[in-house]
Amino acid sequence: MSPAQTAQHKPGAVSRALAKDRLGIPAVLFFVLAGVAPLTVAAGVIPTAYATTGLTGIPAAFVVIAVILALFALGYVAMARSIRNAGAFYAFIAAGLGRVAGVAAALVALLAYSFLQVGLYGAFGPNAAALAGAHLGVHAPWWAFALGAWAVVAVLGLLRVEITGRVLGVLLCAELAVIVAQTIGGLARPAGGHLSFTTLSPAALGSAGFGTVGVLAVVAVLGFVGFEQAPVLAEEAKNARRTVPAATYTALGMIAVVYAGASWAMAAHAGTSHVMAAAVAQGPGLLFGLSGSSVLSQAAQWLFLSSLFAAALAFHNATWRYAYALGRENVLPAALGRTGPNNIPRAASLLQSATGLAVITGYALAGAQPMQALFFDLGTTGGLGIMIMLAATSAAVVVFFARDARGEAIWARLIAPALAAVLLAAIVVLAVQHYATLLGVAPGSPAAWVLPGAYAAVAVAGLAWGLILKIRRPQVYAAIGLGAHAFTAQPARRPR
Amino acid sequence: MTGQANGQPVPGLGGTGRVADELYLIAHHELTGRPHLAPRAVGLGLAGALLAELLLAGAITVAAGAVVADAPGQADDQLTAAVAAQIAAEQTHPVADWLAFVARTAAGAVAVRLARAGYLAPPPRRSWRAARWVPVDPDCAFAPVARLNAALDLSRPGDGQVVALGGLAAACGLGPRLFLYLPPGARARIDALVRLLGPGLGEVIAQTQTAVDAALLAHRI
Repeated sequence: MSPAQTAQHKPGAVSRALAKDRLGIPAVLFFVLAGVAPLTVAAGVIPTAYATTGLTGIPAAFVVIAVILALFALGYVAMARSIRNAGAFYAFIAAGLGRVAGVAAALVALLAYSFLQVGLYGAFGPNAAALAGAHLGVHAPWWAFALGAWAVVAVLGLLRVEITGRVLGVLLCAELAVIVAQTIGGLARPAGGHLSFTTLSPAALGSAGFGTVGVLAVVAVLGFVGFEQAPVLAEEAKNARRTVPAATYTALGMIAVVYAGASWAMAAHAGTSHVMAAAVAQGPGLLFGLSGSSVLSQAAQWLFLSSLFAAALAFHNATWRYAYALGRENVLPAALGRTGPNNIPRAASLLQSATGLAVITGYALAGAQPMQALFFDLGTTGGLGIMIMLAATSAAVVVFFARDARGEAIWARLIAPALAAVLLAAIVVLAVQHYATLLGVAPGSPAAWVLPGAYAAVAVAGLAWGLILKIRRPQVYAAIGLGAHAFTAQPARRPR
Repeated sequence: MTGQANGQPVPGLGGTGRVADELYLIAHHELTGRPHLAPRAVGLGLAGALLAELLLAGAITVAAGAVVADAPGQADDQLTAAVAAQIAAEQTHPVADWLAFVARTAAGAVAVRLARAGYLAPPPRRSWRAARWVPVDPDCAFAPVARLNAALDLSRPGDGQVVALGGLAAACGLGPRLFLYLPPGARARIDALVRLLGPGLGEVIAQTQTAVDAALLAHRI
């Protein structure tokens, strides 16, 4: 080699060039928070949860769940460093608890994300209808607006257009600013002139009976959904060991403070004993009215819509990613794993759009109350599914590192995930037992067992399918959980 | 087979005989030059194709997942020689790293090479839309698909270069477009022929597929 070439291609030039293209902590954090959609939770989930469950321990639940999720995250980010396709729960579960369990987990996760995505239309529809009626003079039923949002998400999904990082960043900062301003406004004007801390106390969790802990935890977990997405960008991250954990913990901390604060402010402003009635009467207005500023309230209402829309698109993308990865692995029909022009995973995207259309149409025809029956019921059921995934993933982390510690500290590979697994599993059991309270329906009502029962059904179907793959299609079985790496892991399989 | 007219190179239906040139032409519309793939997928496919050219020329090999420059002097044009020199300077990187590295600049570099051979005209200067290289002769730009068709139609052992082209085209996401023009069963035939390729080419094709999939799953395509 000539001296000129040596000088031109100093060792490390390739690594430096690749590192320049990779994502730092802020980029990963924005990606995570965009999926979390803070205003969707603060204005949508929290007031509806106060109204539906009648429980006042929601602020405390956010704090307690944040601690449990931090325990979970210790093992989660440790294992994410050691596996491929770290962007999906089922990959962790396949690597830790076996591929049969992985298939069951994949189907449960797919159903959970699907519930979460479709549920968002139930909030977008009525809130868009109210705003359009009040300010634009456009009067149409909720489902017309829900279908409008659905159509835009479906088209953007097919064009694979994603709201760019900068737009999302601006919207996010605006959302957070509005929530913080409303929170401060609410806390500055407490009911009766005295600021009460009772809803923040862990004692508030069990104030209506120990079982309600599970109900409150599901609501809180629903708020945090999306925090688990950072490993999706693991292979794109600047520093695989630092970027993903740092973004995950920062997101957890921010969400916990913002949600606990907002829900505390709502209870403090309305009065702990009146917050349920206020939530029933005002809905998202419970947040928007905290500061008493009409300009802020207006801005918040429009931002709430953009937040719901961004969340619907983010969860649409999360859902097709699952379906696409499973199609690539041939666990689901291979058609879901194919791309069309411009590398668009058309079938996977259309599948989620078709689900959305069917659900919106079904709820519209049934005349169901969208905010409660669609947004909250399906959303919390999605939250329950994610909680099941969190518990199973924690167990998978423990088993995975029991085989080989891979240099991880005992706290991250055993103690924290084991604690998280036990706590989360207990919460899942409590939540399922008190599902009627969560949905605000009479005990024994069909919705209270059909919705959680759906997970049991797909889990059983997944276990059966996993066993069939193991026996009948060992090549497919061997690649379960590898996602994009399914091909390179198996020399016999080649690109389609 | 590139000809000359008035001292200027003119495109030929026979093509330049280079995998990356052929893949570039397949990946872009023969009339408008508009890409059929997302930008990163084009880059990764062309990066795979440039590595395939070096493998076919005997300039590099893939050993235990890493790319080794055995005889960088075997690279017979400016672009592949530059890639070979980079590989020779940093021998420790796996195939995936080289794909990601070369993908950053591959589309522009291959377009320049095709323009020098007379196949593409430089982008017209229009500020209101993205500059795009346009094929000089649509028939010549479409010819690689016909060549792929001919190679697959005959029940003869596949020519390594055409098979690598087919495999890489499918790997970077051109399958749905390509199979419109190819005989029924072409997908299976390409898969079967790719399996017969040497381990180096097979590895580059599989890694290209993985890189494109991973980019798609990470929303970074």
